[in-house]
Amino acid sequence: MDKTIFETFIGLEIHIQLITKTKIFCNCRNSFGDPPNTNICPVCMGYPGALPALNKEAAKKACLLCLALKCKLNEKAVFDRKNYFYPDLPNNYQITQFEFPFGIEGSVDTALPDGSIKTVRIHEAHLEEDAGKMIHDRIGSMCDFNRAGTPLLEVVTKPDFKTGEEVEAFLLNFRRIIRYLGVSDGNMEEGSMRCDANVSINYIGKGLGKRVEVKNLNSSRNVKLAIQHEEQRQAKLLKAGEPILQETRLWDDDKKRTESMRSKEDANDYRYFPDPDLPPFATTPEFIAELKSMLVELPLARRNRFMSEYNLIQDTAEFLTEEKDKADYFEEACKKGADPQNAAAWLKGDVTKVLNREKMEILSSPLDIGRFIMLLDFVEKGKINGQTAKKVLDIIITENKNPEDIIKENNWEQVDDSDSLMPVVEKVLAESAAAVNQIKAGDMKPVGFLIGQVMKNSGGKADPKKVKELIMEKIK
Amino acid sequence: MIWNNVLKNTEYKKKYVEYVKNWEEKIHSLLVFDPDRPTPGKAEGGSALSNIPYVVKDNIAVKDFRFTCGSKILENFVSLYDAAVIEKLNTLGAVPIGKSNMDEFGMGSSTDNSALAITNNPWDLERVAGGSSGGSAAAVAAGITPFALGTDTGGSIRQPASFCGVYGLKPTYGSVSRYGAVAYASSLDVIGVLARDISMTETVFDLIKGKDEQDQTTTEYIEDKRNLQKPVFGYLVGDLGLSDSVAKAYKNCIDILKSKGYEVKEIAIPSLEYVIPAYYTISTAEASANLAKFNGIRYGYRSKGTESPLALMKKSRSEGFGEEVKLRILLGTYVLRSGFQDKYYIKAQKIRTKIINDFNNIFGNIDLVVAPAFPTAAFRHGNADLSPYQQRLADKFSAIANLAGIPALSFPAGVYDNLPVGLQFFAPHYSEKLLFNAAKIIAEEIPVPKVPGFKTIEEICEAPRG
Repeated sequence: MDKTIFETFIGLEIHIQLITKTKIFCNCRNSFGDPPNTNICPVCMGYPGALPALNKEAAKKACLLCLALKCKLNEKAVFDRKNYFYPDLPNNYQITQFEFPFGIEGSVDTALPDGSIKTVRIHEAHLEEDAGKMIHDRIGSMCDFNRAGTPLLEVVTKPDFKTGEEVEAFLLNFRRIIRYLGVSDGNMEEGSMRCDANVSINYIGKGLGKRVEVKNLNSSRNVKLAIQHEEQRQAKLLKAGEPILQETRLWDDDKKRTESMRSKEDANDYRYFPDPDLPPFATTPEFIAELKSMLVELPLARRNRFMSEYNLIQDTAEFLTEEKDKADYFEEACKKGADPQNAAAWLKGDVTKVLNREKMEILSSPLDIGRFIMLLDFVEKGKINGQTAKKVLDIIITENKNPEDIIKENNWEQVDDSDSLMPVVEKVLAESAAAVNQIKAGDMKPVGFLIGQVMKNSGGKADPKKVKELIMEKIK
Repeated sequence: MIWNNVLKNTEYKKKYVEYVKNWEEKIHSLLVFDPDRPTPGKAEGGSALSNIPYVVKDNIAVKDFRFTCGSKILENFVSLYDAAVIEKLNTLGAVPIGKSNMDEFGMGSSTDNSALAITNNPWDLERVAGGSSGGSAAAVAAGITPFALGTDTGGSIRQPASFCGVYGLKPTYGSVSRYGAVAYASSLDVIGVLARDISMTETVFDLIKGKDEQDQTTTEYIEDKRNLQKPVFGYLVGDLGLSDSVAKAYKNCIDILKSKGYEVKEIAIPSLEYVIPAYYTISTAEASANLAKFNGIRYGYRSKGTESPLALMKKSRSEGFGEEVKLRILLGTYVLRSGFQDKYYIKAQKIRTKIINDFNNIFGNIDLVVAPAFPTAAFRHGNADLSPYQQRLADKFSAIANLAGIPALSFPAGVYDNLPVGLQFFAPHYSEKLLFNAAKIIAEEIPVPKVPGFKTIEEICEAPRG
């Protein structure tokens, strides 16, 4: 698409499933992946006479995210009924918030790949119930109501995005935010975070074009691809003088294109009205005070602080603040005396490598902060060298052992006394006459090779610094 | 009291069941009668309701009982759980023995809108028992049960109670949990009590009231203790469109209060004429959503031979619902259309606010309002006496209390031309006690009438057999 002629406006509707013990209006477990129709009751099945009772935890988590998104909280949030018939919607109306949602008029800052900060305005954020699931099979269609009544928070942005890349970066940041707050796990593949994009393009300066809603986007990458596809498709139509239809389109992941699902004319009249079963939710000053005590420093702010406070480069700070657990771990280690640069390097490098290989999360892994600090300390104090430390790290994580025990059991303590090292050095020098001569002639290149040979002959335990000293002393 | 023993004593029970069956052949008040249900037996001796049988309107859930709401769409549905009020009564040892007939989903004033049975008034089998809680009222009047539960959305307890000559209490909105009562119009519906005995009415209400976590529209019951000793009464003047017998009973009631030395004042309710449009707008709007859950997918009537889920839902609803229900769903759908809410739904809410304000003003000067429960005594089956339209207009005296959320009690006010006539008291929120006291004042002069053939439980059980 020619960005000198056209301009793109993108707004998002993001649904996130809130992490709560029970569903939004009943006491059924809110859990993913259980056998069909095992977490159901008269309320979430829409049985005659059953009534919804709002789960306070869901309201709290919804409002917590609203505050983090700098939204104003409505003093009295109202639940409304959105009426439409669908087999997986037990009451054939969805309880949602329409006129008075929990949060309005917020904003979120996102760091873009080019280093700039993009501010996106939040239009509103409202709490609602999820529907069940229809499963179509050769025998027929079946309904699973386990998901019915899962608390969903829908966050609606203003059409402030200009490119798919901005949206992708925003979604990654948004996901970090909701995970930091513990309100959702933000997993787009499993559907705990879903995103619809409203895309409109127009000639520059002409304002918003016809809005096309794109659904079925199950990763932030697909959101970007779908937006880029829509930009191309709509620009082509505009250039050809053809109308862009206001419609809903579905992303086809196999064909990498969007396809029309329904036009505006087919849209339902949802006949919203306040749900008489649920009194308005008053966000009292005490409630807001409680929420404020639950707020945490958000990823972008934390990244910036890590850069200034620990003197880390952006890339490292970004890495450490991806997940709250990781950032907390790093800060706790520093507080307990770890050198920030050193700790960051280990975390970003070998620790992540081993954890990923073992499919573990840092907090639940055997590498507790005490062991991590001890490991760094052993290297610092020269008890073991870097190569040995990597092996120790591996064993801590795979065998759940303490570093000092591992070193002892394997007899890996670094050897740095001249008496034990000298015979090995002498042996290596005797076997490497060519290298020795080269060094004597003033070419220092083979020194590394000789150190390596000594390390190898000492079973990796030798202190490389000491070895170098001894080699130079001997050759002189 | 023998009611406590009737289910436990084999001899008593036999006679009682026979008495019930005799009446039921004539009045068909119950859709289910099951006196053999195991008694809950949880209550220790002390409960006033221990082992007492009672009847439940068929839109209130009783576990393992049929749960039809008088509709074909739920004809064979059995409840999986107990309503909150039933749970409370279970712990007190009371025993639900039957489900009473009703207008389908509570929509009607005659019980003739039931898809499952026609209930007759025990006073005159040609006439209706009223509705929608007609089965409950008829069963109580016939002496089949010491009390019955009903629901009242726009008069559905009070009007049948007045047609059958018994007490009918519509409590303060939010004082009794609605959990387990099938919603017709959620902001108006209340579960209440019908009984021939005002003390029984009071006892049951005291036991079922209170906050329930499952119904977040309930509140702690904090009694309004205004002027219990010497309440001031208000009554309506002018042409109220009452039948002769109701007009006579109304005048008589005012005279009794005056003669007993109570202060009685003329009052006006300016919003009375707007009650019916507001009531039918709000109730049908809510009903259109409340009844959407009946779609043949998860339970209830399912139409055969449809080819898509949408067709299945459409056809099941078309075949499962009765005419009155469809009419109200359509009306409710109409008033909620986007772009038309200001004209109907919002305007109705404004009228509702005005009604609440009117009562706030009225209760600034007086404590209780005496009003007709319905402009006529029980009418005949069919539309000969009152057309469906006239029946709806006649709801204004009762529906006004639902719109205001205030408690109201209809009480027997005499028998005219062999038919009972009822009137009602309105009181401020949370002052049911005022209603009970006022009813006791009237009962001193007008005893609760006995329908011909009525026997007390003592008479039923002591009478020689055969």
